Amino acid sequence: MRNLRAFVLGAIAVGVLAYAGAAALAVGAQAAGRSLVIGFGPLVVVSVERETAAAVTTFGPGLIGLAILGGCLNVAAALLVRRRAGGRGDRVE
Amino acid sequence: MIAESDCVDLAPGVSLANAHLADVVRGSSWPLNNSGVFILERVGLRLDVVVRELAEAFDLPLDVARFDVLQFIWTLNALALVNVIQSGSRLRRGADWLGLAARLAPAGALPTPITRRRPLDTGSALRGAASSLRASISRVIAIAAASTLALLPLAAIAGGSGRSWCAAVALGVATGMGVGLHEAGHAASLRGVPSVLVLRGRRTFVLHAHLDPVRRSLVAVAGPAVAAALGFGLVGLGAAGAEPSVVILGLPLAAHALSLTVIGGDGRAACGI
Repeated sequence: MRNLRAFVLGAIAVGVLAYAGAAALAVGAQAAGRSLVIGFGPLVVVSVERETAAAVTTFGPGLIGLAILGGCLNVAAALLVRRRAGGRGDRVE
Repeated sequence: MIAESDCVDLAPGVSLANAHLADVVRGSSWPLNNSGVFILERVGLRLDVVVRELAEAFDLPLDVARFDVLQFIWTLNALALVNVIQSGSRLRRGADWLGLAARLAPAGALPTPITRRRPLDTGSALRGAASSLRASISRVIAIAAASTLALLPLAAIAGGSGRSWCAAVALGVATGMGVGLHEAGHAASLRGVPSVLVLRGRRTFVLHAHLDPVRRSLVAVAGPAVAAALGFGLVGLGAAGAEPSVVILGLPLAAHALSLTVIGGDGRAACGI
C-alpha cells in the first residue's frame, strides 16, 4: 500500500512538472513562431506545428510515460529512504 | 541572535503552571527547576533585567547568570517554546548579525536563526488557511521580493524588454505565493487539530498535534497539492490561451509538486517514512 502511494504521488508530481515544462516550451515556441517536437523516439511529449495562420500544440503520450517513470523512481527512492531513516510524526513542511 | 536587550514571550499554545512548561500542540509538558520557573515568570521583561534579578535572587555572579539565562532562552526558542521579541532597529540587528557571522566564518558556521512560532486557528478549513496566510505573509513578501530581485538581472540579460521584466516579476511573486499557499493547504487540512506555524531561518513548517498515519498523509499531501493544483491550472490556462505570462506565473506553483516525492519532507511523510 505504501509503495502504491509512493508510485501515485511520484507519478502525479512528475506528470505535473513535465506538463508545466512542456507547456512553457510550447508557449515559448509559439511566441517565437517556431515549430517544436520533444519526445523519446515514438513517444512525443509535446509538439508545436506551424500551419498557415496558426500553431497547433499537441501534448503526446510521452507525458504519461514520464509520469510512470517518475512513479517508479519515487517507489525506488522511498524504499531506499525507508531503509535508512525514521520519520518525524509531528511535522509537515 | 538573542541579545540582552530583547524580551521573550511564551509561544502560542505554551503555558507555565505548577513549575511545568506545557505545550498543547506537542501534547507534552516538562518540569522546570527553580531558576527556570524564575526566568519564565518574568517573560515580557528585558533579558538584562531578568539576568540582574536572577543574579540577586540566587546569589550568582552576573556573568554566570547571563550565561544561564541566554542559554536557557536559546534552548527554549530552538524548541519553538518561547518567542523572542527583538528590540532596536533592523539595521543595527543586521550589523550585529554580520559581525557575528564574520567571527564564526573561520569555523564555517553561520549564526543560528531565531525561531518564531505563530498561532493557527484550525477551527475550520477556511479559518486555518486564512490564519496560515496571515502568519506567513511577511515571509511570503520577503521571498517574493528576494526572488524578484534575483531574477531582475536575468531579465536585463534577456533583453530588458517589457515582457522579460514582467516575467521576472511574475516568477518572483508566484515563488512567494507558493510558500503561502503550500502552508495554507496544510493548515486547511488540520481542522480541529492544535497547530502552529513555525518560521526558522529559511524554513517554514506547520507543527501539529499527533495524528493517525492516514490523516498525517492527507495533511502532508494537502500543502503541495494546493500550490501544485493552482500552478497546473494556471499553466493549462496559459497554454490554452497562448499567454506566456500566465504560464510563467504557474511554473513556480507547479514546482511544488516536487514536494509530493520523497525528495521533500511532505512526500516522505505522505509515504509513511
